[in-house]
Amino acid sequence: MGEYSLLIILFAPFLGSIALIFIPRQEELMVRMTAAISAGISLLASFYIFFAYDPIKGGFQFVQRFAWSEELGIAFYVGVDGIGGPLVFASAILLFAGIFVSWHIKDRTKEFYIFLLILAAATIGVFMSLDLFFLYFFYEMSVLPMYLLLGVWGSHTKGYLSMTDPEGLKLRDSVDFIFNFGSNSKEYAAMKLTLFLSAGAVMALMGILLIYHMSGLHTFDILVLREQAKFTDTMSTLIWILIFFGFASIAPIWPLHSWSPVGHAAAPAATSMLHAGVLMKLGHFSIIRVGFEILPEATRDLMWIAAVLCIGSIIYGGLVSYFAKDTKYVIGYSSSSHMGYIFLGMAALSYISLSGAVIYMFAHALATSMLFAMAGWVYDQTHSRDIPSLGGLSEKMPFIAGAFIVACMASIGMPGTINFVAEIMIIVGSWDRYPLQVVVAVLGIVLTMAYMFKMMRGLFYGKLDPEFAHTSDAKSWIDRMPLILLIACSIILGLFPGHFYDVVRSTVEPMVDRINQVAPLVTQNTRGLLP
Amino acid sequence: MQFNLSLSAADLILLMPEIFLTIWLCVILALDFSLKRITHQQLAHLSIAGLGITAIMLFVFDQNGTTGALFKDMYVLDHMAILFKIIILGATALVLFMSIDYVQEFRFFKGEYYFMVLMSAIGMMFMASSNDLLSVFVTLEFSTFGFYVLVAYLRDDQRSSEAGLKFFILGVFAAGLLAYGISLVYGETGTLVFSEMAGTQGSYGLAIGFILIFAALGFKIGAVPFHAWIPDTYQGAPTPVTAFLSLAPKAAALAILLRMFFVALASFKPMWVLLFVVASIFSMTYGNIVAIAQKNIKRLLAYSGIAQIGNIMIGLAAGTKQGSDAIMFYLLTYMFANLGAFAVVIAVSQVIKSDEIEDYNGLNRRSPFLAAAMLLFLLSLAGVPPLAGFIGKIYLFIAAMNQELYTLLIVGLINIVISMYYYLIVVKKMYINEPSDPSPIQASLPIKVAVYVGITGTLLLGIYPGPFIDWAVDATLMFSNIAAPTASLPILPGG
Repeated sequence: MGEYSLLIILFAPFLGSIALIFIPRQEELMVRMTAAISAGISLLASFYIFFAYDPIKGGFQFVQRFAWSEELGIAFYVGVDGIGGPLVFASAILLFAGIFVSWHIKDRTKEFYIFLLILAAATIGVFMSLDLFFLYFFYEMSVLPMYLLLGVWGSHTKGYLSMTDPEGLKLRDSVDFIFNFGSNSKEYAAMKLTLFLSAGAVMALMGILLIYHMSGLHTFDILVLREQAKFTDTMSTLIWILIFFGFASIAPIWPLHSWSPVGHAAAPAATSMLHAGVLMKLGHFSIIRVGFEILPEATRDLMWIAAVLCIGSIIYGGLVSYFAKDTKYVIGYSSSSHMGYIFLGMAALSYISLSGAVIYMFAHALATSMLFAMAGWVYDQTHSRDIPSLGGLSEKMPFIAGAFIVACMASIGMPGTINFVAEIMIIVGSWDRYPLQVVVAVLGIVLTMAYMFKMMRGLFYGKLDPEFAHTSDAKSWIDRMPLILLIACSIILGLFPGHFYDVVRSTVEPMVDRINQVAPLVTQNTRGLLP
Repeated sequence: MQFNLSLSAADLILLMPEIFLTIWLCVILALDFSLKRITHQQLAHLSIAGLGITAIMLFVFDQNGTTGALFKDMYVLDHMAILFKIIILGATALVLFMSIDYVQEFRFFKGEYYFMVLMSAIGMMFMASSNDLLSVFVTLEFSTFGFYVLVAYLRDDQRSSEAGLKFFILGVFAAGLLAYGISLVYGETGTLVFSEMAGTQGSYGLAIGFILIFAALGFKIGAVPFHAWIPDTYQGAPTPVTAFLSLAPKAAALAILLRMFFVALASFKPMWVLLFVVASIFSMTYGNIVAIAQKNIKRLLAYSGIAQIGNIMIGLAAGTKQGSDAIMFYLLTYMFANLGAFAVVIAVSQVIKSDEIEDYNGLNRRSPFLAAAMLLFLLSLAGVPPLAGFIGKIYLFIAAMNQELYTLLIVGLINIVISMYYYLIVVKKMYINEPSDPSPIQASLPIKVAVYVGITGTLLLGIYPGPFIDWAVDATLMFSNIAAPTASLPILPGG
């Protein structure tokens, strides 16, 4: 049973979405229950693997391997290490919470849950793939459902003009059209996201194909490639650049981030949650899995690129968040700013910083998805995401306001939440190598505090507009449960991060050793020996 | 050249599928004339049954290894020919399923439609087996003849007639090129059989001859720069015929291209690789970019077809056994996705009487089944996992990567992103936009069969491609040692 838990986690949502196809669309409750049950099974199994992962043994556990195509050297090969395991867990939590957050979706419920389950399952698939082909397979598979989720169930941003509006028609002929007109629509956001991510994906694919061919092994097996693949210097630099920027576009690293806040703003709550929570981490994860594992020398030589660009992420994202007026833009840009911390942790390549980066991926998933869930709730109630026009909502929705404050605190990195653990580890671990970036990161925390407080004040305090007198709080357990689940995970793991840390550290240590030492040892030993 | 036509029974076995289908189609024509009662639906079912029996026959041949060559190597039945024939038969059967409702609206010649389709199918089956230039010419013209009639079948429709005329004039021109090319090649080498040409030395005459032949075949598969007839013909032709045109002749012509370049011209590989790289890059890029501007779904699929042929030519450019395997696997995936998409187009146009993309607005609300099917087919064409097209594309890219064709690969990868855009535009119309007329759209049973076959194939080949890849690999064992380039043309230094 335990051995198969990864397959259960992966296939429960897939089977759920197949089951949904056969449920008549009128039976909305049954549709929701099916989705919830399949996500629940996935959550339980991932809970199991998270705690049953043995940090003393380390390495890849719960491994399953099935031949898929001998001809092309592809196997369906899954397993998790201390990095994949927690992220699988995070995806399962977010999927489960997301299904309850979107409980009230009325329009084409069935299709919504089908695409949501496929999205989450594909994401989970990336985190457990030990075969490059399947890593790419699931990666690309997770992009497409986003298009439909955003396009069909998303919402336009304020200032959107329909093509048929008289004012819109007038604008169509002006230069403004190019810059403003379409960019507020959900269709634009969806298309931009899909094309951006596809472009990143094919770039990474080129890198993967180069690894496949240039290693001379003609296999996609990551473990074999890790042990045996050898590349020339130029080739490994080239492949690393392709892999890094290909996958970093989904992460998203500045300046490749522009699809992300637009996408967040347009997406329905559950999709934003999965998108900000785990989809963006596919980028970091894939860089670690492909770049760090297969190309350690290039990683050591080139990871400074991430350290440079992360300054842009942190500062730019933070500043835009501060001045943005749309709740989802604030949270979206704050996510892309926080992604900078992960890149910093990855770039510093010390035990503590890389462990911190991995824990931060998990922590950020929880905190941001809470914020998106509540921004979604506020939007559903008020039909507005415009912070200046909102205010005083704590009167009407005390529970949401309370939870929102906790989420903001988590996002800032208050002690007691898992975010604090992660942030402090990144900052401490990166100091030796990148002191300047650490200063920027600390400034970033201050910025985070500023815009989070500003958003909190704008939404929940001040005078309540009579227009919003009819709004209501999350009262039923279905609405409260996902928030409580996310907060509980964040705080419990924040107070007791021991097991989590051991799990991550068990994987990070050998990885960092390999990256930092392999090449120096070889050059020291061979220098002077060979003419 | 002297032919010694002594056929034994064992030889005739190799021709059995074609002979059987010829008899079957004569029976169908006779039934149509003689039995007043027989409806065209029954004729369609009979035709499909005939195709099924032929396909089973070929499958048994494949399993038993009943292969060989006839008429001094003019006609070969090897595993590759069998696979191509099965693809052609499958495509024909799917097309017939789609046609049943469509033919209902013809005013005349309902029965003859099936005759024409089957006749073209037989022609293409011969094409898949033709192994010398003479049989290439004869079978190519034989199969195209049926299409000239089929494209112009809606004789009251101006666009259909225009399409037919355009197709005919350009087709005849291509035939002229082909004949001239064959005469040049024969003049230079003194032989028509592919396998005997393998050792010849290069010369200008040979080069020009083969370029002319390539042009004629390029016309058949619709590769840039021989694609000009495609959009208008696709748009004007009856939709099932468009579907048929979009797959079967391409498969048959690819069989000839594979035999010609991988066997006869193996020694000139560096030169024709360049030819295919250029044609592939132009086809993919041109097809995908022009497709963005299309307003009509048939034209969109026409341009997407040009781009897909560009993808397939990646396999030809690789010029290895792996390349030919990838081509065959890709053709299988393309068959399911492309014919499925055309089936949905037919189902929709039956109700709304339009092929404009604008009229697909809100298809998801009007028919969730058709919209979901179209979504799958378009995404498979775009190459999104877990659908068949993704595996096909990756297979082609791996083949190209193993030959280190980096430029081609980069262009191919960029084209994936470009193609994603226009396929998603259709998806957007179907899913995001609201319908102007929300009345539901019902698909008839035969079309549903075609759509279900398409969905099954698209998913099966995407999720569990192993057996099909093995099948394609076994089919092209003859290419496993493509001769190393030995000869050189005076045109390109070094060769």
